[in-house]
Amino acid sequence: MIRYITPLLSIVVGIALLIGAFTLPKSTLGNPNGPMYFPALIAIILILSGLVYLFQEFKARGVKFTDFTQIRLGKSPMYLGVSLVLMIIYTILFERIGFLFSTIIFLLGLLFMLNGRKKWITNILVAVIFSVVTWYAFGTLLQVSLP
Amino acid sequence: MGTDMQVVLDGFLTAIQPGNLFWIALGGFLGTVVGMLPGLGPATAIALLIPITFGMDPTSALILMAAIYYGAMYGGSRSSILLNTPGDGSAIAATFDGYPMAQKGQAGQALAMSAIASLIGGLIAVVGFIVLAKPLANFALKFGPAEYFLLMVFTLSAIVALAKGAMVKGFISMAIGLMISTVGIDLQTGVYRFTMGSPHLSEGIDFLVVIIGIYAVGEVLYNFLTINKPVGEKKSVGKKWITKEQWKRSKWPIIRNGPIGFVIGVLPGAGGAIASMLSYSFEKQISKHPEEFGEGAVEGLAAPESSNNAAAVGAFIPMLAMGIPGSGTTAVILGAIVMLGLKPGPLLFENNPDMVWTFINSMFVGNLFLVILNIALVGLLVKILDTPPRILYPLIMMLAFIGTYTLGYSTVDFIILIIFGFVGLFMKLLKFPVAPLILAVIVGSDMEQNFRMSLISHPDIIGIATASPITIALVIMTIISLGFPFLSAWLMDRKKGKTSEESM
Repeated sequence: MIRYITPLLSIVVGIALLIGAFTLPKSTLGNPNGPMYFPALIAIILILSGLVYLFQEFKARGVKFTDFTQIRLGKSPMYLGVSLVLMIIYTILFERIGFLFSTIIFLLGLLFMLNGRKKWITNILVAVIFSVVTWYAFGTLLQVSLP
Repeated sequence: MGTDMQVVLDGFLTAIQPGNLFWIALGGFLGTVVGMLPGLGPATAIALLIPITFGMDPTSALILMAAIYYGAMYGGSRSSILLNTPGDGSAIAATFDGYPMAQKGQAGQALAMSAIASLIGGLIAVVGFIVLAKPLANFALKFGPAEYFLLMVFTLSAIVALAKGAMVKGFISMAIGLMISTVGIDLQTGVYRFTMGSPHLSEGIDFLVVIIGIYAVGEVLYNFLTINKPVGEKKSVGKKWITKEQWKRSKWPIIRNGPIGFVIGVLPGAGGAIASMLSYSFEKQISKHPEEFGEGAVEGLAAPESSNNAAAVGAFIPMLAMGIPGSGTTAVILGAIVMLGLKPGPLLFENNPDMVWTFINSMFVGNLFLVILNIALVGLLVKILDTPPRILYPLIMMLAFIGTYTLGYSTVDFIILIIFGFVGLFMKLLKFPVAPLILAVIVGSDMEQNFRMSLISHPDIIGIATASPITIALVIMTIISLGFPFLSAWLMDRKKGKTSEESM
């Protein structure tokens, strides 16, 4: 059944967009329906494409659906899960504890995940050196103000 | 030609000023390094390095981004030849004969040939650019909102149609892109659309965040899935320069395929990937010994390399002259230079001719520089390939986040970045083409404005379509481009049917 998720999703998003378009506030300037046309058009494209896609998947139902097998194999689920968690932590910490420390934590996390615990010296060196270099390059050379 | 030679010459002199030479060198080098990473191509390289261009003047920024673009193309060929892992679509054809050459101990010669072919292809295309760009810009001056709207429709439909065998997925990808572009305050009426009450979203979703999310975070996540797979064995480089015999065999294929690649590059939708594939099969068909193709035939490497570089140069023409990018990579560049306050389009050639010609000449200089870099520093570049991806991918991830932060100084964008990173990952897994989405995000807002402006002077869609000879031509081209995949499939079926009848 997993093969029908994407086509159904695109139909659902299309319908939601269509409803959203029709409930947009009317414009007081120019054509009152002006803001609605384009989103409604996109919604119709989404719904129609979704229907055709659904039909194609239905026709291909005998063929094994392999698009997602890759993310279920080996360490892939762990890599993706840990990456997601690290990215969320990075988002939360970035402005709270500042660029330098949050970036070191983020890089350490990713490097330990991919590189393993045995290469801890490399991991720590890479994380610290590159965080400091980037901090300097952006903050001083490119004059971007980082937290 | 309609172009004053003096302007061209002035542009050349500006391009070789030390400041600009530095950007060419830096962009070329960084592009080569990112392009060499398996799975990452020019669009990723540019998306990642956008923050560097902030605060630069637009001309230098454009020069830098173009240099990153070619650099990444050269880099992509490096990993194709040495590791059999192409960085992106346009480097695939280089694996067909480049990797077999490397296996025969001719890696150095293959690298040199690829660099030389790219240089000549690029130079042919620069000449084409000088001839074609100005007339096209003059032609585009006649375009009104209806023409622009339909030109965008045509460009999008061409790029959707070329999403091989997956047109429906192309349409969905495009629709998502257009949908993203409608979020925020409507420019004509001030109505808030789909902002979900977030003040941050009222300014719209920054398309550069979407691009970095899909091209950088998404690609890196995708590469995590295969990170433990052993890569192809790397052979020693061997002789660094091509032989006379190899040059004799490749000379004409290089010269022939430059113009082919250029024309394909100018067309919307098609790009380096299609140009190089087409050139490869074309050379194989007219070759006297097609059986050598795939076994390390040097012309099988030279032809696509010349062609894809020419296509890269050609792709800049519609972007600069009409403001409509024809490929994912040029769409990213367009997005970045619009951020810097530059408005590409026909008026660019009127108002900033010095800038345009400086840029064109920088492509000339940049290609030369890359050949020198790639041949002289081949040893160093091969060493970079040895750096484990396990260390490089986390660093790329970090750059993606910093780049995003510099766009809006807000961590709300991080959430958007993460979402689109996963969108990009799932699109890759489900084999959805990415280019229609990127293109749609970039042109979406302009497309809508032009659509509604043309509705003011024309009553309905039929009125827009028949507004002028140009709009009628664009409508016909759109129909042809959408019908083409069906037509070619039907012709193939017929051909197959015939041959099977004959064999009976």
